[in-house]
Amino acid sequence: MARAAVVGAGMTKFGVHDTPLQELFGEAAFDALDDAGIGPSDVEALYFGNAMSGQAENETHLGPKVASYVGMAGIPVQRFEDACATSANAFKNAVAAVEAGVHDVVVVGGVERCTPETGKDTDEMTRIFASASHRQYEQPAGLTFPGVFALLTKRHMHEYGTTEEQLAHVAVKNHGNGALNPRAHFGKETTVEEALDGPVVADPFRLMDCCPFSDGASALVVTSEAYADSYDAPVDVAGVGHATDVVPIADKTTPHVTQAARDAAGEAYEQAGTGADEMDFAEVHDCFTGAEILASEALGLVADGEGGPAAEEGRTARDGDVPINPSGGLKAKGHPIGATGAAQIVELVEHLRGEAGERQIPDAERAVAHNLGGDAATTVVSVMEAHR
Amino acid sequence: MSDGLTHAAWTDAVRDGRLLGGSCGQCDTTVGTPKAACPHCGARDLETVDLPTEGVVYTETTINVPPEGIEERGYQVAIVDLGDARLLGRVDGETVGVGDDVALSGYTEDEQGYTAPRFEAV
Ligand SMILES: [Zn+2]
Repeated sequence: MARAAVVGAGMTKFGVHDTPLQELFGEAAFDALDDAGIGPSDVEALYFGNAMSGQAENETHLGPKVASYVGMAGIPVQRFEDACATSANAFKNAVAAVEAGVHDVVVVGGVERCTPETGKDTDEMTRIFASASHRQYEQPAGLTFPGVFALLTKRHMHEYGTTEEQLAHVAVKNHGNGALNPRAHFGKETTVEEALDGPVVADPFRLMDCCPFSDGASALVVTSEAYADSYDAPVDVAGVGHATDVVPIADKTTPHVTQAARDAAGEAYEQAGTGADEMDFAEVHDCFTGAEILASEALGLVADGEGGPAAEEGRTARDGDVPINPSGGLKAKGHPIGATGAAQIVELVEHLRGEAGERQIPDAERAVAHNLGGDAATTVVSVMEAHR
Repeated sequence: MSDGLTHAAWTDAVRDGRLLGGSCGQCDTTVGTPKAACPHCGARDLETVDLPTEGVVYTETTINVPPEGIEERGYQVAIVDLGDARLLGRVDGETVGVGDDVALSGYTEDEQGYTAPRFEAV
């Protein structure tokens, strides 16, 4: 039995938006409500994600602001902040609420602006992103977010011989997928040569190994299992796992294994009564190419140490045996922090309905989403299935 | 909180050329930064211990796109294995790789006075 169902899904194009946060979120929310065939008055609560607008836009207490804009003022709104795992955490709590009967119909989603439209340029935004690393024990050394994942990836390269070419293959694949996604930030293909020729951001990561700063919003309508059949196109939420790990990175037992992802995946698979072998595809948190390789292993999609070769051999391509990030991933679709987790669920919903167009994974019945926050210290893993 | 290792004491030690960590009395965990309880077993009796000031690079990266507030580009940061614990710091001088031996060489300080240890190849 499913824990809940997603009956409406919507998102803006990810990219550069000269639009206030409530207007961006409104576009995604109305998209989701229209998809579900309901109006704002049918919604009993809003589970809302935004990570950084206080720092990036001097904008806090966003919950009632966005609710007011979309005709939902009055209902309870809870706002989540968990770095890049922000809206997956909102989703987890929305699922728990409908499952427990606290509410029957909720909207969950997120919004973020990270591009220079915020008035913040690259070094300012790099500093804001770095606020998710430890203030006392990481930031003073000058650690950045590319640096965080570079540290994890460099150790993985040392352990398993993962190469920069393999990292480049992740970028090439995801840009190829993004080129088929009309809502992707980057719609252009790239090559291994081009990726390996880019300027180094934090070695081993070059520019093409890094996701962009993006603006965007995503939203879902979630209802309880009991009401799922009263909607046109429900997709089942089979399991949602959520785990954390020790911060700072140096105090983690084995940083590159991303233990929180393994714990969250184990919980999600167990709830769903399934396992990695049963997944038809995955949307994973590829904020950097190395992060996708670590995630592919942590989710059990490939064996430990096989993430790099799997990317190079095309196993994770849309026509491979373990397709990863058919949306283009954060790498090409874009990464508006607080919108990313719910947008992964949007992608799962579209494939599991058979409505993903050119990038459709054929006959997809079951899929997994992996959204991590901070230095992989928060991870939420969700398993969804076509509705039976 | 208690008599455990505080950020202030850890910082004073770094400035004095010492590295302090916390060793758990209940399990074999040692952490390189102050914690009120063991992250693995929850025990509160973490004993403040001196960590070795020489160790081996566990992982490293060179950062070319710094955050606002840092003018320098191309500086290296590393996580160093210091016996039973690990610690992140900046790297001075020549670039080091995973497995290289390094030693504490000083500290750096940000605009709020928060410090990070510096290491250099030995
Ligand atoms: Zn312990």
